[in-house]
Amino acid sequence: MNWRIIGTLVAKDFSLFFRKRLFLVLTVIGFIMYVIIYFIMPSSVNENLELGLYAPVAIPPFVQIEEEGLEIAFVESEEALKEAVINGKYVAGVALPEDIADKLASKQKPNIRLYFTPDVPEEMKETVSVIIKELAYMQTGQPLSIEVSEEILGPDVTGAPIPARDRLRPLLAIMILMVETMGLASLISEEAEQRTIHALLVTPMTIKDLFAAKSITGIGLAFGQAILFMALVRGLGEQPLIILITFLLGAMLVTGIAFLISSVSKDFMSVLAWSIPAFILMFVPTFSVIFPGAVTNWIKVIPSYYVVDTVHRAANFGSGWGDIWLNLVILVGFCLAITWIGIMLLRRKFQ
Amino acid sequence: MAVDAISAEELTYRYGELVAVDHISFNVAEREILGFLGPNGAGKTTTFKMLTGQLKPAEGSARLLGMDIAKNVERVQGEIGVCFEMTNLYEQMTALENLNLFARLFGMKSFDGKALLKRIGLAGRENDRVETYSKGMKQRLMVARSIVNKPRILFLDEPTAGLDPTSSESIRNIILEERERGATVFLTTHDMMEADKLSDRVAFMNQGQIVALDTPHQLKQQYGKRALRAKVSTESGGLEDREITLDTPETPEAVHKLFEREKVVTIHSEEATLEDIFIGLTGRGLV
Repeated sequence: MNWRIIGTLVAKDFSLFFRKRLFLVLTVIGFIMYVIIYFIMPSSVNENLELGLYAPVAIPPFVQIEEEGLEIAFVESEEALKEAVINGKYVAGVALPEDIADKLASKQKPNIRLYFTPDVPEEMKETVSVIIKELAYMQTGQPLSIEVSEEILGPDVTGAPIPARDRLRPLLAIMILMVETMGLASLISEEAEQRTIHALLVTPMTIKDLFAAKSITGIGLAFGQAILFMALVRGLGEQPLIILITFLLGAMLVTGIAFLISSVSKDFMSVLAWSIPAFILMFVPTFSVIFPGAVTNWIKVIPSYYVVDTVHRAANFGSGWGDIWLNLVILVGFCLAITWIGIMLLRRKFQ
Repeated sequence: MAVDAISAEELTYRYGELVAVDHISFNVAEREILGFLGPNGAGKTTTFKMLTGQLKPAEGSARLLGMDIAKNVERVQGEIGVCFEMTNLYEQMTALENLNLFARLFGMKSFDGKALLKRIGLAGRENDRVETYSKGMKQRLMVARSIVNKPRILFLDEPTAGLDPTSSESIRNIILEERERGATVFLTTHDMMEADKLSDRVAFMNQGQIVALDTPHQLKQQYGKRALRAKVSTESGGLEDREITLDTPETPEAVHKLFEREKVVTIHSEEATLEDIFIGLTGRGLV
């Protein structure tokens, strides 16, 4: 490969990219919007513990307690309680049995059922159990023997309370990456549409030089912006190396996707037509972060899952190499496969 | 011994079952201008692409400056300049940026883009985007781009097609200047007058084969017909055409009789055109 030629082509592609008003607007305005969206989202989680209580019989301490940070709302039925928990109205639902007073009087263990949403962290579950026991203690003035059973409404996932804006970070980063896919695909398809590729192919430039230059341009544009975004939204505080590597692989992935899109596109409109389904598909895994438990394992067939999941875990939970190495290996596999297929198809198109 | 600039041996290319170029062989000497003529689909462009390294021959070989193009494509491409028929410039870049880009790709250490643009009549527009240029200006820029590396062989595919006379003349002058500089020129064109004016030799291509290759003069001598055309006045006051074929034993007598018996109004000699010769050789026109 000839690095002088590659450098010349990269400079040319960057110059052309920033002369296209549409991509310039999408890139700059989009970037600013993503940062603004991040900063206007809530930066903290609601620390008030909102509990729903179904109590067929009135238990004075349960009725009276309204301590700071603990809000209890009474619900008419156990079914209504479950529905309210699923809808996110309460962090947890507490259902007291009808015979609680009798069982306490006869020194039997009443069974108190707790309902949680799938993304409630373990600490929160433990806190609620402790509160229930505390309330029971307040009722009798001595520790009581009670049974507490938990039920997860929907698939269980582990997690920690994460501000909504931090949950959005992988989504916004994926959007930045994907916009660059469209930009690069358009640049490449224009080379074919305007036949400039033929002019390049009769110079000492080789097809390898061309793909190296296009890859550098695509990866540079996508990686640079994604990292700048993460730096601006303070997403590089935890595991910065992992995040950098993940975004580098993510930029490679979208470059490969850009090769695929441009290999089947003839002009800007067809780039747009192919890019939109690709965008939608690549966004799907971000739902797993925004709505934990809402999606199932099938999303693991979508390559962007491994970018989203790794960034989410590293940036929001501080997950280390031991936790995410498999994600990175799979991501490398996807990058190589998609880029190779894209290059083969484009090569055929150019020649 | 001087090496030919271009040497093609049994060059063949197939698109599936269709033989586009069928075992053609020819040589082009250094500093020669070869006009490559033929109708659409004759195999000119396929030959052009094989010689410039865009297509690999199915059979045969081509040597440019003594190097086998199939084995030394990058080295050969560093020594040639190619001007395509269809405009393929970076429209969102300026003329100067287009030239500088290709000069860098060719590794030209000292390149004066402004001087080249002045030479092709684009001085003052060098910093305008190409998308604002007329067709003639774009075509001149295409020719300029093909000579940024001072090529030893210049390939031009229909460089004056559809241009106004001024732009065409400008491009023809550049071709002649490049030959003066020492370049060999491989020129495909539909314009018979242009080929006649510029080419040292012309090759006629038809159905993938070269059917004639010689200097325009020799081709006319060999295949053309020279004649005298006269207009004579009739008794009724009208005009009639008379034609006398030259170069035959009967020609002197026929000329004598014409002036003796008829009232000649106008008379001129007529030479066969390359198009006449092509039609005579192939039975079809060039379009």
